[in-house]
Amino acid sequence: MRRTPGAYVVLVDRADLFSLEDVSLVVDGRRILDGVDEHIHDGVVTAVAGPSGSGKSTLLRLLNRLAEPTSGRILFRGTDVRELDVLELRRHAVLVPQHAVALTDDVAAEVRVAAPGLPDDAVRALLSRVALDPAEFLGRRPASLSGGELQRLCLARALAVGPDALLLDEPTSALDPRSADAVDSVIRSLVDSGLAVVLVSHDVVRAGRVADDVRVLHDGRVTARGPARDLDLHHELMSPPADGHVHPADDPRTHGPAHPQHAPAPPGAPTTDGPPDPLHPPEQP
Amino acid sequence: MTTIPSWTAVAVSGLLVLVAVAIASWQRLGITRDVVVAALRALVQLVAIGAVLAWLFTHAGVAGALAWILAMTFVAANESRRRGRGIPRAYTSALVGILVGTASTLGVLVVGGVISTEPQVLIPIGGMVVSGSMQAASLTLSSLRRSVVDNRPAVEAALSLGLPAHQAFAREMRTAVRTALIPTVDSTRVVGLISLPGTMTGLIIAGVDPLEAIRYQIIVMYMLLAAWAVSALVTARAAQGALFDDAQRLVPIPA
Repeated sequence: MRRTPGAYVVLVDRADLFSLEDVSLVVDGRRILDGVDEHIHDGVVTAVAGPSGSGKSTLLRLLNRLAEPTSGRILFRGTDVRELDVLELRRHAVLVPQHAVALTDDVAAEVRVAAPGLPDDAVRALLSRVALDPAEFLGRRPASLSGGELQRLCLARALAVGPDALLLDEPTSALDPRSADAVDSVIRSLVDSGLAVVLVSHDVVRAGRVADDVRVLHDGRVTARGPARDLDLHHELMSPPADGHVHPADDPRTHGPAHPQHAPAPPGAPTTDGPPDPLHPPEQP
Repeated sequence: MTTIPSWTAVAVSGLLVLVAVAIASWQRLGITRDVVVAALRALVQLVAIGAVLAWLFTHAGVAGALAWILAMTFVAANESRRRGRGIPRAYTSALVGILVGTASTLGVLVVGGVISTEPQVLIPIGGMVVSGSMQAASLTLSSLRRSVVDNRPAVEAALSLGLPAHQAFAREMRTAVRTALIPTVDSTRVVGLISLPGTMTGLIIAGVDPLEAIRYQIIVMYMLLAAWAVSALVTARAAQGALFDDAQRLVPIPA
């Protein structure tokens, strides 16, 4: 495991952020997820794409323990999530729900919801980071924001917690293409600064554009996986495969450069194989 | 002093039931039978409760009166539970709220020497306190239930930021307790203006000087404010404990 400044992200170099081991979820006799075995890498954008009802939002909720699998286990940086303090886990991997919902009636208060002591300049910095001009947006009511602006405010609110990973549920599904592009470029810039992102989307084209790594989910099963550029995503999504058959675009564990155009490795990225403490990993740049 | 009506007088008042029955059948309202049954039920129930109270007042003593009040809290909690359909352990939450609301309010009144501990005082006053606490618990549970169904996305968004349940649910808790207190605050504000409240009315009919009767009414109003507030808060706290599991998740509730 070695990265040098300027080198491209190589998925095989990435430690696992989350590992799912034979994860199934049955609700009222319905199998929402069916034996999912996946590795989600640190420091990249992983998209889970699939039609609605495929179980992708549920998968995201399992990662921060808003839901519990019926069987199987989920590891965060090598430790079973059930052994971690759930509040701390959620602060390391913050989930931003599909429907942006404001919890306060003031933009600055919204950013501070889970970070009450955040100084003014940090609030401004976070707003800038999600492409909301502090001069324009401070003092406004979240209810007066457009859908895309509110979605980005929710991202700032999540970033204020200081997470290592963001779990985004359909971050752009309710937005017009221009607002969606703005959110996507914020996502890319966050990952370029060292954050990991797991996003679920029914829009496989958009997911493929923003993601480094893609999983295609059908009826609770992963039916295709691999670097975004190597999957014929339209094909994968339009033609549900025969039972149990997985299309590997390539073996993701041994694959080469994923997103050379916008994913340079952060200099000094962690090089350990298995950090002993998942909630306190070596410092990120 | 006014005289207490005789049974003959009660029988004469029964003519008024006939007025209602006449209107119901003349206008073909289809509720003639209901009117008769309701009037007879009221008669039987009140005679029965009168007999029970008469026995209690002479034989029960303080312990018996308290046991009677305790029994009423169990019945009241069972009523409140219906309002919190789907909330886990709703009965326990309501019971704890009503018990604490009743015990604390009655305790202050008794220890402060405001009311005597004779059964004929403890039982009716206790009944009012239990009834108020029950209404507060019911409104609290019903508001919490609505919040959980309507505001789940907001609560889960807050939980997803790593906020503990009591913070993620703080807004819903405030709403529930506030909603529960509105009726009693409103009725306290307009007391005497819109209608003369029951305690005062009863005392005045029994021949007590109105300036003395209002003293009892003031005590009753203040007592009910406290009972409602304590019961709403305790019920909400207890229900919150049941609404979140060990992993700080909002439990599912049928819509």
